[in-house]
Amino acid sequence: MKYEIYNNYVAADDLSVFDFISSGRHGAIQKRIVFMPTELGHVYNLAFGDVDENGEVDDYIVSDNGDRNKILATVVAAISKYTERYPGRYVYFQGSTMERTRLYRMAIGINLDELSETFEIFCQTEDGTQFVRFAQNIQTNGFLVKRKIQ
Amino acid sequence: MKKQSKIEDVVFGKKVTITIDEQLNQLKGKVLAPGKLARANKNLRKVTSLPK
Repeated sequence: MKYEIYNNYVAADDLSVFDFISSGRHGAIQKRIVFMPTELGHVYNLAFGDVDENGEVDDYIVSDNGDRNKILATVVAAISKYTERYPGRYVYFQGSTMERTRLYRMAIGINLDELSETFEIFCQTEDGTQFVRFAQNIQTNGFLVKRKIQ
Repeated sequence: MKKQSKIEDVVFGKKVTITIDEQLNQLKGKVLAPGKLARANKNLRKVTSLPK
């Protein structure tokens, strides 16, 4: 991957929680990535953001630390570790806002060739009933990722 | 004493160090982003099948 990543994670032994420190113009900010089982079998929801005072992930906050690409690449690396451990699991994620969803779609699109070597990537259809293979022009609210079986 | 173990690994060609932390182990199974999870469950409710 051509992007820098934060390469020191602290994690739970089942890899359901990863913490790392974002370091940028506003100093050091603790970030948390969590994978939580959803009501849909085999699908795990990815959430990431800052850790609030209750230890919960706040994915609405804009920390503006100047390291957006590095953070996104770090999250991709965490997904890679997680799906390497659990290749049968699907990882589902959405942006907390329309802008962030658009950002994720652009980031996936720009790096699709490389990401596709490791993952199957799908978009949720607008009616919410199914997932179709990722394409840059698809309007979607959610993404689904699965480890590619080599 | 806090129990830790370190895993050195390579992800996407990058060296990473994962430190397994007892405090994070205690968070296992807890819903750490309840709003996000509720929204995901709502959005996934209509899904009829997963891609193969």
